[in-house]
Amino acid sequence: MSRTVDEHAEDRPRIVIHDPTLRDGHHAVRHRLDAEQLRGYAAAADAAGVPVVEVGHGNGLGASSLQVGRARLRDDEMLAVVREALPNSRMGVFMLPGWGTGDDLRRAVRHGADVVRVAAHCTEADVAERHLDLLGETGVEAQGVLLMSHMAEPGRLAEQCAALVSYGARAVGIFDSSGHYLPTDVTERITAITAAVDVPVIFHAHNNLGMAVANSVAAATAGATIVDACARGFGAGAGNTQLEVVVPVLERMGFDTGIDLYALLDAGDLAERTLMPAPPTISSESIVSGLAGVFSGFKNRVLDASRRAGVDPRDVFFELGRRQVVAGQEDLIVDVVTELRSDTTLRARDDGGRGAARS
Amino acid sequence: MPRSEPLRVAVLGAGLIGIDLVTKIQRSPALSCELVVGRTEETRGLRHAAALGCATAAGGVDALVAGREPFDVVFDATNATAHAEHWARLEPLGTLLVDLTPSRVGHMVVPTVNGADALLHRNVNLVSCGGQASVPVLHALARLCRPRYPEYVEVVTTAASVSVGRATRLNLDEYIATTETAVRTFTGVADVKAIVNLSPARPPAPFRVAMSLVVPGADEDTVAAHVEAAAAEVRRHTPGYRVTACTVTDERIFVAVEVTAAGDRIPRYAGNLDIINAAAVLIAERYAARRPRAGATEELS
Repeated sequence: MSRTVDEHAEDRPRIVIHDPTLRDGHHAVRHRLDAEQLRGYAAAADAAGVPVVEVGHGNGLGASSLQVGRARLRDDEMLAVVREALPNSRMGVFMLPGWGTGDDLRRAVRHGADVVRVAAHCTEADVAERHLDLLGETGVEAQGVLLMSHMAEPGRLAEQCAALVSYGARAVGIFDSSGHYLPTDVTERITAITAAVDVPVIFHAHNNLGMAVANSVAAATAGATIVDACARGFGAGAGNTQLEVVVPVLERMGFDTGIDLYALLDAGDLAERTLMPAPPTISSESIVSGLAGVFSGFKNRVLDASRRAGVDPRDVFFELGRRQVVAGQEDLIVDVVTELRSDTTLRARDDGGRGAARS
Repeated sequence: MPRSEPLRVAVLGAGLIGIDLVTKIQRSPALSCELVVGRTEETRGLRHAAALGCATAAGGVDALVAGREPFDVVFDATNATAHAEHWARLEPLGTLLVDLTPSRVGHMVVPTVNGADALLHRNVNLVSCGGQASVPVLHALARLCRPRYPEYVEVVTTAASVSVGRATRLNLDEYIATTETAVRTFTGVADVKAIVNLSPARPPAPFRVAMSLVVPGADEDTVAAHVEAAAAEVRRHTPGYRVTACTVTDERIFVAVEVTAAGDRIPRYAGNLDIINAAAVLIAERYAARRPRAGATEELS
């Protein structure tokens, strides 16, 4: 970092900061960022020397839908705007097979995407095989990431990451999509993965239990060299690792991020002013979502449906957790809310209205 | 024409779909499963088929055309990219090809919607498991909207990870394109989106398809009645098909169905295999009831 005192930058281990503010942050604003917002933040991140700026619908390429929310802009528009605003930084995109397709990837590559992440849920790495293979011919940096990783044991995640490498991923890693991990969970998993692969390892945290920065530090300490972080933590639910915090923290720990502190702080301020009605907070529902292991991005949907039906959103999160839903299964919220409503009605009738106490 | 002898059928592909198909064929008095073909010998699928009492062969489609007499019906349970070649090889033999891959090569059939079409085509495509589960409901709702059309239709399929084999995993793009094409074709709606989730939950989650339609002014009771009527039709061949949610809010109809596999050797959650295989067997049985054996069909066409 250029404004800290350190004459030995070249000796320090490098961490690549990957910034999905303009992708994951979309979950917080129902995927409605406009071109001016994208352009402004991308330019600020570029000026700070953030190496990778990711953009897209919250669930990635091709994911604009009623299921998770319809984006204001088409993928093509988002990519064109951000590409132009990044003279130095690389542009990243994200795609989950089943939501996006090979055509979406080819279009993103034509738009100048440099880093292309193909995602799969924790144990489903093989759905990414064909898409990682397709990217091999394009010259972009193809990465493979495992979502909802808390649902699988460390050894299993390591096997799955090795599979992603065999399909052509040049970096692999895990997302804590529910914000469920504690630092020791992260250490155990990143250690297992770094032992199983010889490519850079990625970690992406959510902040449901207030652990995002601590977990990112644990990941870097255990050998992850690509760390995801968003301005003001702008992301689904309780948000992600806060970019302007984790960068100086990593620098103080002796890692080199290559990012300029003041310009980074400016980008964070700009993000707060222009991208979000308010920075993410750890709301009651987000805490429950993290405890229950439910994808943070379900928050707005659960709140909407619970309010309409008059049920406790916390009960909805615990029930979704019991069913082990993954990101993308937002349609189950309606069923769970309906079931809880009839349960509540029955119980109110049976016990004279003491209400639904969660066991 | 009534027949006494069962049709000679073969299953190409010994994955999850192929093996469940064998068990369903074996229950049908109209069909006799004469051969199950895999790509290579000694695969788990072929051993499973042999254990079920079927003759098995390796070598893919070559093994099917090698016999002296062509099969009456071949079920293609391989993958979308291989299907075109299978059709090219089998078409000259007069065999009915029932395609369970999302290839979009043959004529798309959903039994409760256009089942009669199956008798007019020699290559019948069964869309996808999500297509089989969603099209009956979407077709009924599109008719209900007439003379207008829904502005947009979305179909989200969730299948248990353990019920989805390698071919389907490699064919997710084809699965999406084929399901979208079928929904467009059967509803007349241009703006359509299909999405697929694989659920790693343990115990596995039942097969589920959620449908959303953007339609102004729909009445919830009328919608529910039409959805339930369509579901009752599907239950005639897939008894574990049920509607789990049906709501109308803000100009949006939302319907979710779940399919559990009932009364078969496959686990209950594998409704995706159950519904598409039940459709495949139903089509072959109707063909058996109407058609003489392959090789004697020219005078009918």
